[in-house]
Amino acid sequence: MTSVPLSPVSHAPALPQVMVRRQTASGRIAMVLFLLAVVALAAMPWWAKTGTIRMVLELCCYIAVAQMWNMLAGYAGLVSVGQQAFMGAAGYALFVLAQTFGVNPFLAIFIALLVPAFLAVPCYMLLHRLDGPYFAIGTWVVAEVFRLVASNMGFLNAGAGMSLNVMKEYSLLERNIAMSLLCALMILLTIGGSYWFLRSRYGLALIAMRDNPVAAASQGVNVPRLRFMIYIAAAVGCGLAGAVYSMAQLRINPPSAFDPMWANVAIFIVMVGGIASIEGVLIGSLIYFIADRWFGQYGASYFVVLGVMTVFVALYARGGIWGAVSKRWDVHWFPIRRHLIYKTEERP
Amino acid sequence: MQWFDALIQGILLGGMYAQYALGMALMFGVMRIVNVSHGDLVILLSLIGISLASSFGWGPFTVMVALVPLAIALGWLLQKAVLNKVVGDDPLPSLIATFGLSIALQNMMLQIWSANSRSLPGGGIESQSIQIGGIYVGLLPVMVLVFATGLTWGLDLMLKRTRFGRALRAASADVEAASMTGINARAVYASATAIAVGILGFAAVFQSLRSTVAPADGGAQLIYAFEAVIIGGMGSVWGAFIGSMVLGISQAIGFRIDPGFGVLAGHLVFLLVLAVRPQGLFGKV
Repeated sequence: MTSVPLSPVSHAPALPQVMVRRQTASGRIAMVLFLLAVVALAAMPWWAKTGTIRMVLELCCYIAVAQMWNMLAGYAGLVSVGQQAFMGAAGYALFVLAQTFGVNPFLAIFIALLVPAFLAVPCYMLLHRLDGPYFAIGTWVVAEVFRLVASNMGFLNAGAGMSLNVMKEYSLLERNIAMSLLCALMILLTIGGSYWFLRSRYGLALIAMRDNPVAAASQGVNVPRLRFMIYIAAAVGCGLAGAVYSMAQLRINPPSAFDPMWANVAIFIVMVGGIASIEGVLIGSLIYFIADRWFGQYGASYFVVLGVMTVFVALYARGGIWGAVSKRWDVHWFPIRRHLIYKTEERP
Repeated sequence: MQWFDALIQGILLGGMYAQYALGMALMFGVMRIVNVSHGDLVILLSLIGISLASSFGWGPFTVMVALVPLAIALGWLLQKAVLNKVVGDDPLPSLIATFGLSIALQNMMLQIWSANSRSLPGGGIESQSIQIGGIYVGLLPVMVLVFATGLTWGLDLMLKRTRFGRALRAASADVEAASMTGINARAVYASATAIAVGILGFAAVFQSLRSTVAPADGGAQLIYAFEAVIIGGMGSVWGAFIGSMVLGISQAIGFRIDPGFGVLAGHLVFLLVLAVRPQGLFGKV
């Protein structure tokens, strides 16, 4: 009796010796530049005037909101036109905590983020039942509900809105330092956080899901759970942007807190810059920010051009600017792909 | 009596919403597309109608005769120029394209007609009323409801009985199988959108007779149409009609409770339906 030893290793063909390359030269340069930019943002009080800080803060809010929309639409397949619901909710939470309950506003801004996180749970439970395009309009209804509830609540001073008078207790320098740190933190969390997330194993699952949800589920990706996580994270990210923005404005009222303009801005930035890429968000935000400064005076006709550009991108250039660039040159600033490199001696 | 009155007013209001919801139900049923500029098209057609009435001195029904063919042409053009390029499994391109169109249309209207609210002079019919059972109801809202019922009935009959209706249903069930049997899906889609926007021609006349219209009003109309379709259950024409009634009644009762609560009541009923019966009142599981 001879027994054949079962050794699967000897029967299986030898796996090629490969290395997984995840970082590139352009990625390393961009990483250094990104960290320098975050430090520069934090150090704004020492190099920028108050007016500049205000402008940079606005730009940071665009980037943050657009990146959250990008995570939702570009990766999770959840197209939302109602993220302003969470921006307004966090803004109001900040005002109530700081103004009504006397919590330190710079502490309150972080506690306020619990509100969008908690509100996003029931919203998602309801909305995820809606099919593709209907999900989008559903998020709009939720934002309208938030706005109407805020306009009817005496506790939030109804339609008249609230002022953040407690900010008078801080000097201009103190406020500038706080705003600069908040800008730096917002960019670090939304851009850096997304980058970290996309490079983690969740990111791998997310990219698989974006390409084909059914196939990803068959490979063991928990698609509903991943979508839920992204939705909550995006609500908190938008909440942070909303709270910072309304803190800078010092006033909040329902139409400005739940302004649908944010959805327009996020969609324009992500679609024109290039969906499903962090680079696209940065490019799109800069374009929108500069266009808004230069052409904002033309009012309605400027928005006609923005709308037509969005239609054009959706019809003819779905990758946006970054999509066109990355097709030609492989110079990703935030590389998230895993390249398999054959070891030199094995190269066929 | 007060609540009975609210119920009647709600049904009449529902007649208005049904005219928006029919086209949306048809487009989603056939192409799985939501046209975000649906509400803006109503406003655009209303404003064109108001301008026509004031420059040629036309009455509301002459305006309607001019507006409906224009709306049909607009729908056909929309499908040919934009929607045929974005129809597909991925909902993103069609949403983004129609969203961009909505922003462009809204601001274009703002540029042409300014932000002022306008309405269509009805030559007296907007203020006439008739007495039914102990309560007075406006003649115009009753006409709106009659038109809405007629349109729903006609659309349902067309889908069930005509050759075109069969082609439409075949294309919505399985576009590839339909193509194999000789149906030109793109042509069917173009006709479906033409009908959907054509119905908005009627809605535009009634909307501008009933109340005022301003360029920024489109978003609200889109939301009402959407809520009616979801409440009623997707993919059914009569479902959209009943959904509109439910939405109208919820809003009318909400307005009786508190004027600031009316629209919110409609949204809350929508969310309630989504929570307890996500397939809609008439939807199949």
